[in-house]
Amino acid sequence: MEARPASAGRGSPAYNMMYDLVIVGGGPGGAAAGVYAARKKMKVALITESFGGQSVVSAGIENWIGTKSVSGLDFAKMLEEHLRAQEDIDLLQPDLVEKVEKAKNGFTISTKEGKKLETKTILVTTGSSRKKLGVPGEKELDAKGVSYCSTCDAPIFKNKVVAVIGGGNAGLEAVVDLLAYATKVYLLEYGDKLKGDPITQEKIEKDKKVEIILNAQTTKILGDKFVAGFKYKDLKSGQEKELKLDGIFVEIGAVPNISFVKDLVKLSAYGEIAVDHKTQQTSQPGIWAAGDSSDVLYKQNNISAGDAVKAVLNIYETLNKEGGTRGGYTK
Amino acid sequence: MTKNIKIYSTPTCVYCKMAKEFFKKNNVEYTEFNVAEDEKAREEMVQKSQQLGVPVIDIDGKITVGFNESELKKALNL
Repeated sequence: MEARPASAGRGSPAYNMMYDLVIVGGGPGGAAAGVYAARKKMKVALITESFGGQSVVSAGIENWIGTKSVSGLDFAKMLEEHLRAQEDIDLLQPDLVEKVEKAKNGFTISTKEGKKLETKTILVTTGSSRKKLGVPGEKELDAKGVSYCSTCDAPIFKNKVVAVIGGGNAGLEAVVDLLAYATKVYLLEYGDKLKGDPITQEKIEKDKKVEIILNAQTTKILGDKFVAGFKYKDLKSGQEKELKLDGIFVEIGAVPNISFVKDLVKLSAYGEIAVDHKTQQTSQPGIWAAGDSSDVLYKQNNISAGDAVKAVLNIYETLNKEGGTRGGYTK
Repeated sequence: MTKNIKIYSTPTCVYCKMAKEFFKKNNVEYTEFNVAEDEKAREEMVQKSQQLGVPVIDIDGKITVGFNESELKKALNL
């Protein structure tokens, strides 16, 4: 049997086909939604660049219920296998949604690979991506000393001087990753104290190679071909200071991946998709959202999966109730 | 036609693992350089890619940075 091209997923979308549901995203939310929708015999497609979501870079996930410990990569494989085990779901991977437009009976979705899908409803489970500093030099020196993945890139900075921006858990863990290689690690935090777990704080505070700088606002990354240093403002004194170093690891949180629907749905103050937490409906009839791209209070794999299931059940119910009303909440 | 493929990686980098699994799944042969240990390879990687991130994949001299499944498929005519 000839292998099916992965880019076409499990059967390419047919022309003039109207999906009941298109799921956007392949993290725990998208995967859970795909499994439930397929089992409900909905006409469903799932579009994603890759599987697993943000945890894919995790060395070990210890809280995915039913699994004592699993690496991010294996977690991604578990989700993908569970999806591929469903009989009727069109998986468009790797692909990316570029545009969503309102159509007569639903929506038209356009993808990066040039596909067009018609659907009655959409579930957004696109999660979030790493937040950028937004300072001069960051973009120009991206991957030239500026990194967003300490587990990936730490070894490249063997015997070098580096800084980690962000004093949350991710920042503290980046410091730990880097201590194995770098000769000196600066840790800069915007606030007046570190926010990560005390146990990790204690561990890094003990290390002589670490220098913690609080009340520091990064203003500029310096360097020609590669990072050579950076400037920050001491928020207490108002003074601008400069450090010479070779690498900067940015760990300052996440931003929801919602650009493709931002004009269609109401957003929270943090740019997340605002949902009715009972049903996961957005302000736009026909569009639901779950997981980190929504304004859920806790960004967790288990919660994303649960909320996405909730959304699918509500979509199923709404479509069955029809024939015209397609959800949408008002606040 | 067999292509000459090199991957510069670190042992902890998930995207490197994904790239290697992608090669294996598609029966593509490759040579791996661990830049966490191999300083010569690290310099070579920086020189080739003009940057410091992993993975760096060299397909017959064409350099890609990171793991992008769509791009790799195109580069390998898969």
